Amino acid sequence: MAHIAPEIFNGLILGAFYAVVAIGLSLIMNLTGTINMAHGSFMTLAGYLAFALIGAGTNYWYALAIAPLIAVVIGILMERTMIRPLYRRDPVYSLLLTFGISLIAEEAFRLIWGPNGVPFSPPKVLSGSISLGFTTFPVYRLFIAGALVVIIIALVIFLQHTRYGLRLRAAVQDREMISALGTNTQLLYMINFGLGILIAGIAGVLAAGMLSLNPQSGNSLLMPAFVTVIVGGMGSLYGAIVGGLLIGLAISLTTLYLPAASEISMYVIMAVVLLVRPRGLFGEEGIFG
Amino acid sequence: MSDLLLEAKGVGKHFGGVHAVEDVSLRVHAGSINAIIGPNGAGKTTFFNTLSGFYFPDAGHVSFIGVDVTRAPSYDRVRMGMGRTFQTSSVFPELTVYENLAVGIQSADNLSFRFRTLSRAQRATLDQKVDRLLGFVGLGAVAHRPLAELAHGSQRLCEIAMSLSTDPKLVLLDEPMAGLAQAETSRVVSVIRKLHAELGLTVLFVEHNMRVVLSLAQQITVLDRGRVLAAGTPAEISANAEVREAYIGKEVIEHV
Amino acid sequence: MKSIGIWGWVATAILFVLLLLAPQLAPRLHLALTICTDVLLFAIAAMAVNLLLGYTGVLPFGNAAFFGLGAYGAGLSIQNFHVGFITSLAIGTLAGVVGALLIGPFLLRRRGIYFALLMIAFGQVFYFIAYRFTNVTGGEDGMNFTRPALEGFGIHLQDAGFYYAILLIFTLVVAGFWLLVRSPFGRTLVAIKQNEVRARYLGLNTDRFIFVALLISAAIEGLAGACYGLSIMFAYPLLLDWHQSGDIVLMTILGGAGTIFGPLVGAIIYVIGEDILSTALPWWQIPLGALFVACVLGFPKGLLGTALDLLPGRKNRIEPGHDLDFAAPIIADRETTR
Repeated sequence: MAHIAPEIFNGLILGAFYAVVAIGLSLIMNLTGTINMAHGSFMTLAGYLAFALIGAGTNYWYALAIAPLIAVVIGILMERTMIRPLYRRDPVYSLLLTFGISLIAEEAFRLIWGPNGVPFSPPKVLSGSISLGFTTFPVYRLFIAGALVVIIIALVIFLQHTRYGLRLRAAVQDREMISALGTNTQLLYMINFGLGILIAGIAGVLAAGMLSLNPQSGNSLLMPAFVTVIVGGMGSLYGAIVGGLLIGLAISLTTLYLPAASEISMYVIMAVVLLVRPRGLFGEEGIFG
Repeated sequence: MSDLLLEAKGVGKHFGGVHAVEDVSLRVHAGSINAIIGPNGAGKTTFFNTLSGFYFPDAGHVSFIGVDVTRAPSYDRVRMGMGRTFQTSSVFPELTVYENLAVGIQSADNLSFRFRTLSRAQRATLDQKVDRLLGFVGLGAVAHRPLAELAHGSQRLCEIAMSLSTDPKLVLLDEPMAGLAQAETSRVVSVIRKLHAELGLTVLFVEHNMRVVLSLAQQITVLDRGRVLAAGTPAEISANAEVREAYIGKEVIEHV
Repeated sequence: MKSIGIWGWVATAILFVLLLLAPQLAPRLHLALTICTDVLLFAIAAMAVNLLLGYTGVLPFGNAAFFGLGAYGAGLSIQNFHVGFITSLAIGTLAGVVGALLIGPFLLRRRGIYFALLMIAFGQVFYFIAYRFTNVTGGEDGMNFTRPALEGFGIHLQDAGFYYAILLIFTLVVAGFWLLVRSPFGRTLVAIKQNEVRARYLGLNTDRFIFVALLISAAIEGLAGACYGLSIMFAYPLLLDWHQSGDIVLMTILGGAGTIFGPLVGAIIYVIGEDILSTALPWWQIPLGALFVACVLGFPKGLLGTALDLLPGRKNRIEPGHDLDFAAPIIADRETTR
């Protein structure tokens, strides 16, 4: 068992990434019906911004805080100008819009930072490894694991236990009622989108140090995040968490034993879950929770 | 005792923690006009939806013509002889009135899943049937105008005609008067009367307009907060104190 | 469905004359003939998408899976069984249908964005299979194969000959599509698109209609993919990727979903645009993406759709998808949940 401990750990971290990205995607999808194909681009953007900030002399921690915020600003600008006019229309439009944005983004990254990616090393204080008796783990990975857990817990608290989170969940349930009760729905959508991008941004900076940072790196997390949403159940927070971890583990362990099937394993899980429980593991009708 | 066409027994439906409908039973006999009334939020439309297959109930049974249809999909119920209209007219807005009716007729004649165009004879039959429906609701003049261009009243009439296009035995009308102007209301009322009087159809409708309900219906079921409050003839219901308390104003009863 | 009138037929006739003369006209416009061939076969692919998007109201964002299956189907049959030209195309078409038969059951009873999400995800399965099963598919590097001879004639179609073969296929698909949308089946699809609930309340099993539409679409898409494979004599995994799906859906929207020739218009703009731009600008994806965005925001009915709207007496054109009134994300039609 010990020799696969690193794979299990890596699988869980990967899974936590998927869960976090899936939650961000879900927030946007459930409230406004927008499938954000540019979600990966925002992750990559935050990664590159952090890289640029660090290159300009900022320390890692500031970069980790600031880069996602810049991404959020850009994201909200995009939401207000381009996505908002599309809320009334069929989801195909916002899907295509965000797809177009992702094309522009990928090419822009290629133009600015080159097609082959850039090296992004974690700060000195987080480098090196810790020995845990039976195996050693890179400190940075432990840090990421911790950070992701903190993010997930923060999201759970926010969505389940704060007034604002309640309003968000209520809005997903019944948009008309919420606006009749006086909530500014446009503002809600904007903040919701911003929150989704914030999560993506932070995940993007964290991922940059662990996986590679290149024009497509965000997109490689996007597909598993979609699968996580499907497996966990659309609209379910806990589903995203459990689904993400499940898929992360599956991919990690399959890579160890049968590398050719690593990505396919998540689709196999998806197919099985859909056959047995079409709503997803924790799926409910439009309720986030 | 006329045949029991539709029967609901102990139907319940909840959403999350809210019990929209609880232990509701109803019997509809062939050839009758029935109404479901009740204050807002009483669960009328939810109940209606379980009867027609838009929802499946969480408890209880629905049977139609003696067959258990509790979990039957809507299109199967329609093929068995149910027709339905919605509170906000559910039609094909960009098709013409003619085309709206043709979809249902074609479906009833099993010609929808067909890749060859209709033969001349089939076309003629279709035209005939559409014309008959148009005449019944009085929309002949606007047959070739897109439905979205017509007034709400005409759209509602078209919807009623559509519910007839599949040759139903029972027509479920969900607030047929909703959203209509006064003048349009009387047209719809007379069509509903004709459904029963001329076509011999069984009608079950949900309505708020008490004047209409008391003058049209032979049997009334009153729902309040998801449960059946009372059921009976118009006279019985008007006299029922509990019902009056629930929401009927005294003046309306006296006017009838 | 409004008839196109005498001018419509005239325009169509002019169009086909131009297409017939393309091998002569293209060099004058500094266009390689292969570009013209690509335009046609992507137009076919876009027509497959159009059937679902413009006429059934379904968002088929994983369609490239069928496209790629067509290319690989043709390629594998040529490489392993040395089949002829027409047979390889037939096998490619069949491969697309098989793909739809595999995915379809999972997509039934789901609508709106959930349908799109599932289709994207399942589409990617095929991408990863092509990518990973290197023994069979050649993996990331793709697989080369030769263009087989035409059965019965023994000739190898090249250049103009190949172009005319594709033009013939295109014409047949257009004719078939035209007949399909006028048939009762096609008109029922249009009704389903406008109001699926009402269609069900007229006794129609909408899942069945949508499934069959998906199969037909996948067949056309597979045929297009097979044509493309034969054109470049190569099949590679990215043909199955969601980026490819997006490109084809874009062509449909650019030209005008819900019209017969919209996909062709879109294919012309995209393929020729890409050809011209990519030589001029190495970062041509940026203006392409900007075009996407502009089109989605400003010209939802596409070029042809908007143009047809401007003609007198043609006000009610059918748009891709529905106009939802702040609708909640449609997970599933309530009554179709188990």
